[in-house]
Amino acid sequence: MQLIKALAVATLAMAIAGSAWAQQTTLRIFTGGQQRPDVMRKIADEYTKRNPNVKVDVEVGGATSEAQQQYLSTVLSSKDSVLDVVLIDVIRPAQWAAQGWAEPLDGYLGADKAKLLPTYLKAYADANQVGGKLIALPYFADSQFLYYRKDLLEKYKRPVPKTWDEMMETAKIVMDGEKNPQLQGFSTAGSPIEGTVCTYLVPLWGAGSDLTKDGKLNLDTPQAREPFQLYGRMKQTGVLPKNIAEIPTDRIRIDMQAGNLLFGMTWGYVWNRLENDADSKVKGKIGVAQLPHDQGGKSATCIGGWQLAVSAYSKNKAEAVKFVRYLSSPEVSKMQAIMASHMPVFPSVYKDPEVLKANPWFADALPVVEGAKSRPVSAQYPQVSDAVRSNMNAYLAGTKTTDAALADMKSRLAPILR
Amino acid sequence: MRRKDLSEPALGALLLLPAALLLLAIVVYPIATLFWTSLHAVDNANPAAGEHWAGVENYTRAFDDGRFWHSTLQTAIYIAVTVPGALVVGLGLALLANRPFRVKWPVRLSLLLPWALPLVFAGLIFRWFFEYNTGVVNDVLGRLGAEPLQWLSSPTLATAAVCIAIVWKASSFMALMLLAGLQTIPKSLYEAAEVDGASKWQQFREITLPMLRPAIFVALIFRTITAIQTFDIPYAMTGGGPGDATETLAMYIHKTTLDFLDFGYGSALAALMFVFSMVATSGYLRYTRRSVGRGADA
Repeated sequence: MQLIKALAVATLAMAIAGSAWAQQTTLRIFTGGQQRPDVMRKIADEYTKRNPNVKVDVEVGGATSEAQQQYLSTVLSSKDSVLDVVLIDVIRPAQWAAQGWAEPLDGYLGADKAKLLPTYLKAYADANQVGGKLIALPYFADSQFLYYRKDLLEKYKRPVPKTWDEMMETAKIVMDGEKNPQLQGFSTAGSPIEGTVCTYLVPLWGAGSDLTKDGKLNLDTPQAREPFQLYGRMKQTGVLPKNIAEIPTDRIRIDMQAGNLLFGMTWGYVWNRLENDADSKVKGKIGVAQLPHDQGGKSATCIGGWQLAVSAYSKNKAEAVKFVRYLSSPEVSKMQAIMASHMPVFPSVYKDPEVLKANPWFADALPVVEGAKSRPVSAQYPQVSDAVRSNMNAYLAGTKTTDAALADMKSRLAPILR
Repeated sequence: MRRKDLSEPALGALLLLPAALLLLAIVVYPIATLFWTSLHAVDNANPAAGEHWAGVENYTRAFDDGRFWHSTLQTAIYIAVTVPGALVVGLGLALLANRPFRVKWPVRLSLLLPWALPLVFAGLIFRWFFEYNTGVVNDVLGRLGAEPLQWLSSPTLATAAVCIAIVWKASSFMALMLLAGLQTIPKSLYEAAEVDGASKWQQFREITLPMLRPAIFVALIFRTITAIQTFDIPYAMTGGGPGDATETLAMYIHKTTLDFLDFGYGSALAALMFVFSMVATSGYLRYTRRSVGRGADA
C-alpha cells in the first residue's frame, strides 16, 4: 500500500514536471555584434522574468550588415528552424519578403495592426510593410549625424559647421593649430561595406537628387558627380584621412573615442560608447548635430535602424511574435535609448526626461530622423549596394576617377534598376 | 554444409562499397548538383522569374562578364606568386628544421603554428600589420625614414600584402611536407658524397633536390589547388577592395551566391573554377608521371 502511494505521488510529480517542461519555450534571437548584444541580453532577461516559461538565447553574428546577411542567407535558404527572431537592417525587408524568409505578422496582430502602426515613426511603419504585408516590427531607429569635438571647436572659437565648406575650413584651422599628426579632420565609412552606400547618397540627396527616380536609375544628372567632388575636395585639403578607403563604420567611433577625430559622420549608437566606455578619452567633449550641407542646399541623412523579423521556419512563431511585440514597445525603446543611445522608434520616447538625461542631443534629433531618406528599395538590394559601395570605395582609394566610378556604377545598376 | 565463400573480386567490391557510397554522397552528388544548377536560371533574388532550364546561358554570361575575368586574373596572380613563393620559403624552413637540433619539438611546433591558425585569423592579423596608422609595417617604414604606404588602398600594394600573408600562411604546410620528404633521404648518400669531396651546394643540388622531387610535387599540387580557391585571406584583409581590385574568383562566387543569391550563375562560376582546378592538377600529374617514368628508365 505504502509503495503504491509512493508510486502514485512520483507519477503525479513527473506528470507535472513534464507538462511544465512542455510549456517551456526557448526562443533564439539573432543580432549583430554592433547592435549591442549585451543590451539585448538584459532586455531578454527582463522578458524572461515576466514570462518564466520563455527562455531566450541571444546569438551574435558578424559586425557588418552584409556579413550578417551572408550567414542568414545560408541558414534561411536551407529552411533551418534554428532561429526564431532575427534582427535585420532597415534595407532588408524587401529582400526578406521576396525570399519568404519572414513570417508576415498581419495575421498575428489582427485588429491591433491598424492601432499599432501609426504609433511608430512613419518611415519605419512604411519600411516594414512590403506589398501590403507586415514583414517586421522596428527595434530601434537610426540616422547619420555630425559628431564633433565640442572642446576643440570652443578652443578655436569656431561654430558648429552648417556647410561642408565651413566644416573643411574649421577642420583645417584645428588640424593646423593642434599639430597632432594623429588628429584626423573628417571621417565617414569608406571601405567596401554597406555604410559606404550612405557615404555616396548623403551628398547626392543634399544636392537635391536621388539614385532612382520613379524606381528607375537616375545617375545621368550633374548632381550624381557631387559626392565624388565633395570627397575629392576633402581629400585634397587633407581633411579626410589618407586611408579613408579602409575605414569601416565602427572605426569612426574608435578613432573618435581615442581622441583622434574632429568630425565624424556616423550613427546614433556612437554617443553611448563615447560617453560611457571606460577607455573613452572624449567623455563630455562631444557634440552631435545635423549633417552639413552644400551652400544653398539642404542637410540630408540616411535612414538606418534595425527591425525584428520572425523567421518563417521558426517552430515557435506565436511565442516569437509575442517576444517581438515586447521588443518593439515604447518601454524597450526607452531601455535601449538609455543603455545604448539607440534612437527610439516612437516619437513620444524622444521627450522622455530620463532618455533626454542620457542623450541630451535627442531633443533636436527627432526632426532629423523624421527627415532621413531611404536607400533604394529592391529585392536585389545587395547588388545595388555592391555597385555603389565598391565604386565609392575605389574613388576614395584613388584608383578610379569620378568618370570611371560613375560609369561603372551606372553600368552595374542599369540591369537592376530598369 | 559449408557456406559458399565470396569470390575475391566480389569481396573486394563489398568492402569498398561503404567508402564508395560515402564518396558518392559527399563528393559526387554535390558536384553533380552544382553542374546541374549551373545549367538552370536560379536567381533567388528574383523568385518571380522562377527556375528554368538555361542551357549554357550562365556560361556565356561568365565569358562576357568583365568581373569574372578580372577575378580570375587576380586569382592567377595569387597562384603565380604564392605557389613558388611558398615553395621557396617552405623549403628553407624545412631545411632549417631538418638540422640536428637537440630539442626538436619547439622547431616543429613553430612550423605547425601558422598552419594550425584559421585562415581568416591570419588575414585579420596581416590586415592589422598593414594598417595605415597603427600597423607594424608602416611603423617600421617610418623608423627607417620612409613615408608610410597605403597598403590596402592601392591595388598593387594590396595584392602584394595579400601575397605576403598567403606565403606566410602556406609555407608552414609546405615545409611540413618537405620535411617529411627530407627525412626519407638516407644519410649514407650524404656520407658518400662527403667522401667524394662534394660541396654542400653540390650535395643539395645532386642529392636533396632529386630525392625530394616527389614530396615537392605533392606539395605543389596541394598549394596550387588551395591557391585557386584563395578566399579567406583577401576577404579578411581587403574585402576585395579597393573597388573590386583584389577580388578573387572564389570571392566573386561567394558574393554571387550568398550576397546576390544568384545560385544559377554562381554555380556556373564555381563549375568553371572546378575545371581550372582539374586542368592544373592533371597538368601536374602528367608531368610527375612522365618524370617518374624517366627516373625508372635511368
